[in-house]
Formats: sequence, structure tokens, C-alpha cells
Amino acid sequence: MKIIFNLLLKDYIRYFNDKPAILITFAVPIVLIIIFGSIYGGGGSPRGKVKIIFVNESNNEISKIIEAKLDSSSMIQLVKKYTPENEKTPTFIDEEKAKQFVREGKRSAALILPNDFFADTSSSLKFKFFYDPKNEIESQIIQASIQQTIMMQISDLLPVLMQRKARDLLGGEEAEKFKNKLGSVIGEYFDVSADTIVDAMTNFKPGSSSGFSSSDSNETNILSDIIKFESEQLVGMEISNPGVTRIVGGWAMMFLLFTLTATATSLFEEKQEGSLKRLMCMPVKRSHILWSKYIFSISLGVVQLFTMFIFAWLFYDVDIFSNFLNLLIVVIASASAAVAFGMIITSFAKSINQASGIATLIILVMSALGGSWFPIVFFPEWIQVIAKGTITYWSVEAFLQVLWRQADFSAIALHVLILFSTAFIVNFYSLIRFKSGKIF
Amino acid sequence: MLKISNISKRFGRIDALKNIDLEIEQGEFFGLLGPNGAGKSTLMDIIIGYHKPDTGTLFFENEIIIPEKLVTRYKFGYVPQEISLYQELSAHQNLKIFGSIYKMSSKELDRKIAKVLELVKLSERKNDTVKDFSGGMKRRLNLAASILHDPQIILCDEPTVGIDPQSRNAIFDMLHQLNQNGKTIIYTTHYMEEAERLCSKLAIIDEGKIIANGSLNDLIKLSEKRETIRVRKTSGIISKADFLKSLGDVIELDYYFEIRTEEKGKQNSELFLNLEKEGIPPELIELRKSSLEDVFLNLTGRSLRD
Repeated sequence: MKIIFNLLLKDYIRYFNDKPAILITFAVPIVLIIIFGSIYGGGGSPRGKVKIIFVNESNNEISKIIEAKLDSSSMIQLVKKYTPENEKTPTFIDEEKAKQFVREGKRSAALILPNDFFADTSSSLKFKFFYDPKNEIESQIIQASIQQTIMMQISDLLPVLMQRKARDLLGGEEAEKFKNKLGSVIGEYFDVSADTIVDAMTNFKPGSSSGFSSSDSNETNILSDIIKFESEQLVGMEISNPGVTRIVGGWAMMFLLFTLTATATSLFEEKQEGSLKRLMCMPVKRSHILWSKYIFSISLGVVQLFTMFIFAWLFYDVDIFSNFLNLLIVVIASASAAVAFGMIITSFAKSINQASGIATLIILVMSALGGSWFPIVFFPEWIQVIAKGTITYWSVEAFLQVLWRQADFSAIALHVLILFSTAFIVNFYSLIRFKSGKIF
Repeated sequence: MLKISNISKRFGRIDALKNIDLEIEQGEFFGLLGPNGAGKSTLMDIIIGYHKPDTGTLFFENEIIIPEKLVTRYKFGYVPQEISLYQELSAHQNLKIFGSIYKMSSKELDRKIAKVLELVKLSERKNDTVKDFSGGMKRRLNLAASILHDPQIILCDEPTVGIDPQSRNAIFDMLHQLNQNGKTIIYTTHYMEEAERLCSKLAIIDEGKIIANGSLNDLIKLSEKRETIRVRKTSGIISKADFLKSLGDVIELDYYFEIRTEEKGKQNSELFLNLEKEGIPPELIELRKSSLEDVFLNLTGRSLRD
């Protein structure tokens, strides 16, 4: 028993002396729990609302009620204004601008309540819905939220819409007879004056009724006739495999981050085997060693990513050739930034174990935060802000622009600039530390 | 040829080197002898520019040199203590990579690779990966990779650590041959046998200071006044430890008790008699001449291998 105890003690002592092991055991799960908890709304942290563009061109009171209901939704947030270039005051988004924003990927969807949303003589409500299904879950959430809100309000409008439908079908005189007959039947059965029922049907007050459930699917079928929902997909219609096209960039970036670990540890490996010291005693600048390692890792990352993309093209028909030049630019920018992070880890870590532990933490956190695993729209606002500080975010978004939207360079210019700038700044700092001999 | 003047280096609270002054002449086989942690490797690292000294200057052929400058590094060939090779590459590939750094033409490099492989007797195995080599072969290739560019001074930092006597002798022969061909060699070791066998001039370093410096004979003279009598340790002898310690200045080593005497001759004879009277068999007793070990012991009060 004493032997077991002593051996156990040895393992505890060794474990607690191994800081990277402690980091991986405790810090990584804690960080991931915070991220997942934020997505699923636990831990008192409200989940982020999905932002959609909302344009209300109608002056109708019903449209205002629907707008108010959508405004109070816990799932979606309406974006109604934008600030045009060279102007300071925000202005309301119109339908054309809404379509442009969706096409450019600034928002995933736009809901338009047009001028003729609910005309005085209309027997149906008219909606326009423009969307970009770049993310399937996001699209489903948006559509479900809009549908639920509208359906709840439709229940109040049902009697009016049915009368108007009857007038369209039967003509004014027959419709009046139908209304009076309906009023007398309801009055008879519920022991209410028929005039009261007819008056309530004629002088409809929105929101005054407690309504009836609209969750029944048969009722939804009936309602579909009186809701004109013009839905139009603006992006990705021609993509043959939307599912794989959407995720391939995120996964590519995650695997690229594994190259980061290799970069972070390879200099330590060369130090351990002694070859690094030999090089440093030869007519070689420290910067030569760092640059050769950096270029090697980038080339490895680029080949790795293209292997993935070619595989996706061969087996899943992901179109990588229509926008190949931009794809190549994003791949190189992403690889440069990822490898630069490997270098900065090397410049701070004191051992191969420490470098490996920090790299693992960074891979998992960046992948989770940056959108490799799930869209960042599900995060609380504050995490979304942090997410924009990760290279994964800019890389995943750039891959989406190139592969999903087939966008030209102007759409990825900012992403590429941020990735290259990050690579430059991080590398510059690593180089200073390396040249000053603070590493090795 | 190489002058080391007032070099000091501190790592945190530890003074690794304290005001080191040395001069190494052209064609010398210069030994730097000292126990582990004495500062030998740090001094080598400063000469080759791996570490910057806190104070002091290096002169090469009477001119100040800055080892960190790349041009200076062409003058030196450094044989590291570790096997500093790419294990998964072949001997030839390793030499090609390291040699290419010295800006030789491909033809010249190939010629030099063939020459050094011949010297270290690895020509037949040049296409084998290093990881498949024996310890001795790796050490030989480690040496070969350091002399490809024909340096004026070869710095060997304990180049025979962890290899069998046969391989060690082979490396000694190679270094001797290089020295015969005019190369200046600086050789660090904590084995006095190596230093005695190889070096024409020696410096003894301890706790970051040069405590003695000169030819082998000069150094031996430092302890000539003292001879030692060794009594091999057996269980019977260990029981007589108190008796032995009563005879004078006695040091207990791993396998011996070492009795140090002030003068030769008569006093030693009396000592032998006393030992015999105590029943210590003569075959366990030996009289030793002074060695570098004794010089170190004299100067520091400690054994080289402490």
C-alpha cells in the first residue's frame, strides 16, 4: 500500500510541476465551457440575437404590431438603419439596399414589409424575404422566428381576412349575407347578440383579441393562402454542394492551426537535438533561421489547405476553381497569420511542452471563437467582439466570401489585410525577441 | 593567434566566468581542463559567438574580433558536446546542409565532403541515415560537420562524451592528424587522461576562473613536491579507515584512500612500514606520481570529478 501511495505521490508531484499539462487539463475545458455555455444560453449569459435587416414600407397598423413583436424577439435583432459613406447620420434601409447588404454578406437575411403589405381591400398579408443561406442553422433560426411572430399576429386578423376572402369569392352582397348569417349562428350558440358579433367582425381592432392558437398545422395551411411570403435566395443558388462549401473554410482553418503547433515546437526540437546551436555558431543570422522556418511552415500550410480543397472538389463538388486566385490569396494570408502565431508562441515558451500546451489552447479557443465550429452569431455580443480579434474569424469569413459568395477581391481585401497585418506584427515581435537572444 | 582578455559572464546570480585571460598560439593543441560546471563550455560559447560576454575582448591575430559577426565565424569550427546533426538525414545530406552555409560552390563542397568523410572514415556509410549510426560514428560525423570549411581554429567541447574507448581513440587520432596539419585546436574535457595525452598546453578552470595555465610539465611541477600513496578499498581496509586517517592528509575516493605526503623518500618508506605493520597487504598499496588530477586537487582541494 505504501508503495502505491509513493508512486501515486510521484505522479502528482510530476503532474503539478508540468505547467502545460495543468493548462491543458483545466484551462482548456474552462474556456470551452464558457464558449459553449454562451451559445446555449447558460451561466446567466444571454445568447446573441441573430441580426436581420428589416424594412417597413407600410403605414398599416398591423405592420407596426409585427415590427414591435419582432423587435421584442429574443432570437432576432432588427437592423433598420445604416450610415451611408461620407455621411454621419444613419438613414433607413430600403429594399434595394437590403438586397445589396444580403448579397454582400453584411447580413444573412432581410424581411421587407412592402407598401402593399396589407391594403384596405386586400385579403392577404404580403412579405418579402431575402436571404443568404451561408449558414444553415442561422437561416433556420431566422425563418422560424419570423414565422412564429407573424403567425401569432395572424390569429387576430383571421376574421377580417376571411370576410375579405369571402367578398372576393362571393361578391359584396353575398359576402354581407355570409357575415350576417355567421354572426347569428355564433350569437345563437354563444348566447351573444348577433349584432355584437357582426360589429366586432366589421370594426376590427388589432391586438384586442386574445386570439387562437396558430400552431395547428392545418390552420397554417389555411393561412398560407392568406400570407403572401415572397422568399428569394440571393446568394449561393448555383452552388452544387452548399453544406460542404459552407463548412470547408472553417475546417481548413482549424487544421491549419495544427501547423501552428508544429511551427511552435520544431525550433525546440532542433534545440534539443543540438542542430540549432550548431547553426547559431555558423555564419547564419538568427533571422535567417526564423525566416526559413516561417517560410517552410507557410508552404506546408498552403499545401495542406489545397490538399483539403482539392479533396472537397473531387468528392463533394466544391467549386474551388471559379475564384481560384482569391482562394489562393486567402490561403496564403491565413497560413501566414497562423504560422506567425506559432512563432510568437515559440518566442514566449520556455520548453517544448509549454509551447505545445499553449498551442493546443490557442487552436481550440480560436477555432471555437472564430467560427470554425459554429457561426459566431450565436455568441453574446461581447464574445462576438472578442471573436473578431482572432485570425480564425477573418480567415473563415474570407473563405466564405471566396467559396460561397464567389466574391471578388474587394470583398476580401479587409480580411486579407488584417491577416497579413497580424502576421507582420506578430512576426516582427518574434523576430525582435529571437534576434535579441531572448529565445534560446 | 587567439587572445582572450578579461572575459566575464554572469547568468543570473551565477558568475560563470570571472576575468578570464588566455593566449593560444598558432598550431597549439590547447586543453581546457575542469570539472563539470567549471565554465569550459561557456568560454567556448563566447569564443564562437553563441553567448555575448559581459566584459572582455577577444583578439584574433592581434585584432579585436566580435564573434557574433558572421565573418568571424568562418575562422572557427565548433564541435558541440551534443550530437548536433539531423538524425533522419544521411551523413552526406547533413554535410551538404551545413557546408552550404559557408558559401562554397557545389563542386568545392562535394570535394570537401569527400575529404572529411575520408578523414572520419565514413565514406562507405555516407548515404546511411545518422540515426542508424553507432555513437562513435555519430561523434565522428559531428566532427566532420565542423571542419568542412577548413577553419583555422577547431573548438572541441568534450567531443568524446559517451563513447567507447575505441571510438574515442579514433577521434583522438583524427584530432591529432588535424593538429599535425597545422590546425589550432582548443579542447575542453574533464578527463585528465585526455588532456595529458592530447594537449601541448593546458589551462585548468574551476568555478569560472583560470587557476593554472601552461604546458603539461609546467603544471605537473606545481604538485611535484607531493606524492601520493593509494590504498585500494576493500571491506578489510574500510574497517581501518581511522588508522589510515591518523597517518596524515587522507582523502577518501571512490575506490581508494589517498594518503598525501609532504616529502618523497624516507617519509614514504616509513609510511609503507606502518601500513604493513597494520596488516595491509602490499598488493593493495601503490605509490603514485603527480598528475593533473593532483594539480587540480592541490589547487582546489577537490577532485576533478567531484
